[in-house]
Amino acid sequence: MDEKKKVILKLTHICQSYVIKDTVKDAVENVSFDVYDNEFLVLLGPGHCGKTVIMNMIAGLEKPVGGKIHLNGEEIKGSDSRIGMVFQSLNLMPWRTVMGNVEFGLEVAGISKEERHATAQKYIDLVGLTGFEKSYPHELSGGMKQRVGIARAYTNNPEILMMDEPFGQLDAQTRYAMEEEVLRIWEKEKRTIIFVTNNIEEAVFLADRIILLSNCPANVKEVYDLSDLPRPRNTTSPEFLRIRAEISDNTDLAL
Amino acid sequence: MIKKDKTVNMSAAEIHEYRMNMLYKVLPIFSVLLLIALWLLASSGVSDFPSPAEVWERTVRLFTNPIKKLNLFSHVLVSLKRIGIALAFDWTFGIAFGVLIGWSPRAKAFFGPLFNAFRAVPPLAWIPLITLWFGIGEFPKILIVIFGSLASIVVNVQAGLSTVEKMYLDVGTVFNASPAQRLFKIAIPASLDAIFAGVRTSTSAAWMVVLAAEMLGANAGVGFLISRGMDSIDMPLVLTGMIAIGIVGAILAIITQFAERLICPWTRKRK
Repeated sequence: MDEKKKVILKLTHICQSYVIKDTVKDAVENVSFDVYDNEFLVLLGPGHCGKTVIMNMIAGLEKPVGGKIHLNGEEIKGSDSRIGMVFQSLNLMPWRTVMGNVEFGLEVAGISKEERHATAQKYIDLVGLTGFEKSYPHELSGGMKQRVGIARAYTNNPEILMMDEPFGQLDAQTRYAMEEEVLRIWEKEKRTIIFVTNNIEEAVFLADRIILLSNCPANVKEVYDLSDLPRPRNTTSPEFLRIRAEISDNTDLAL
Repeated sequence: MIKKDKTVNMSAAEIHEYRMNMLYKVLPIFSVLLLIALWLLASSGVSDFPSPAEVWERTVRLFTNPIKKLNLFSHVLVSLKRIGIALAFDWTFGIAFGVLIGWSPRAKAFFGPLFNAFRAVPPLAWIPLITLWFGIGEFPKILIVIFGSLASIVVNVQAGLSTVEKMYLDVGTVFNASPAQRLFKIAIPASLDAIFAGVRTSTSAAWMVVLAAEMLGANAGVGFLISRGMDSIDMPLVLTGMIAIGIVGAILAIITQFAERLICPWTRKRK
């Protein structure tokens, strides 16, 4: 158990604020938590509570005004290739094919054409998009685009994979299917995943641990350890519903 | 016969769509016929306006009896060659300069005011200075075309580069892309449709300016034909030139559109 609980990412006293029309607005207020190696961590919080801000700071897309982020014990400032990201709005490049999008990170890293083709193909196959390599994003459905985003993040072999409300814009049916897909991929290619959502059911279905955030400005309200809840989880089992209700009672309403 | 049989199995909505498509194909022909009818009407009676028959006859005579040893096609080619050289410069220097001021706020602050002043000066206003410096040969004409068409591509490219969506650049940040990679692998491809808009507008601008430049002193080219027609009160020749300008301009627009679809296949079905 100790082996499993190795801390890979550590956030200490992270704060973020913005100046909006001459007033300072706090978005994230003193957030500290640890992320363990190979766990599926879900950041759960109401809409616009600062979840995406936390993700962006870990990814190096913005700098926190206070606090430190350590990856494997060393402080990181800015983006780090060991951290991958699946974006909320997908951010697929419309001028690139599925293959072109998936191999983008490897191309940037200067990997040779044959090698990056082979690696990208492996992850395209893994997410179930075999045969769509030459399609452009506009030719794909919402769920398929998400798969491209996941494959792209996996291809650079990050130690930590962040997913920022990746299924927020999908319809319910596709969403359930994609949640199962993510778990299948995670079982097959073990990585640490930090998954952001505002959906309690999604959080309980996916997570080893849930970090529940408060309303804006975000701080850690509660941490739930669900690693004992057996997988695959049944969303209608009494245990599942009990945890879901417990978290639900503890959750702030989105403003 | 097979096509007619198809309508039997169509729904009412499909038949409606089929008929509308037919209508859209027929309408352009009607508009051309209408123009010719109006033209016939305007040229009838005692006006100086030449009739379609006269213009047609003049066009044919331009082939049997060339002016300055060049028939209509050759004159068009002379004009096209001039804009070709000018556009080659526009598209290399103009795109590079547009990328520079669109991508680098410092470069924009430095060059922006000068460039805005430059593009406010109409190309024809350069003619006295250019003639003084370079005479009336081939080079000054091409220079006038460049001055008249460069701004449109620079403006479009600059607008494209300065409005690249942050979400694409974020992908670059997450993958640790270098500044050069952000520019060449993200910003420029993301701006390709804006760059093509610049290619289209600079092409049509160049085609307009070259004709004006040729009317002010040239020995060949479509603009020269028109000024020759004006000098010798040969109105059919003027109209021949005008029709050639219209047709070639339309063909150029179609070619650039086609090139865009070929080079940027992802823009084809965005709507």
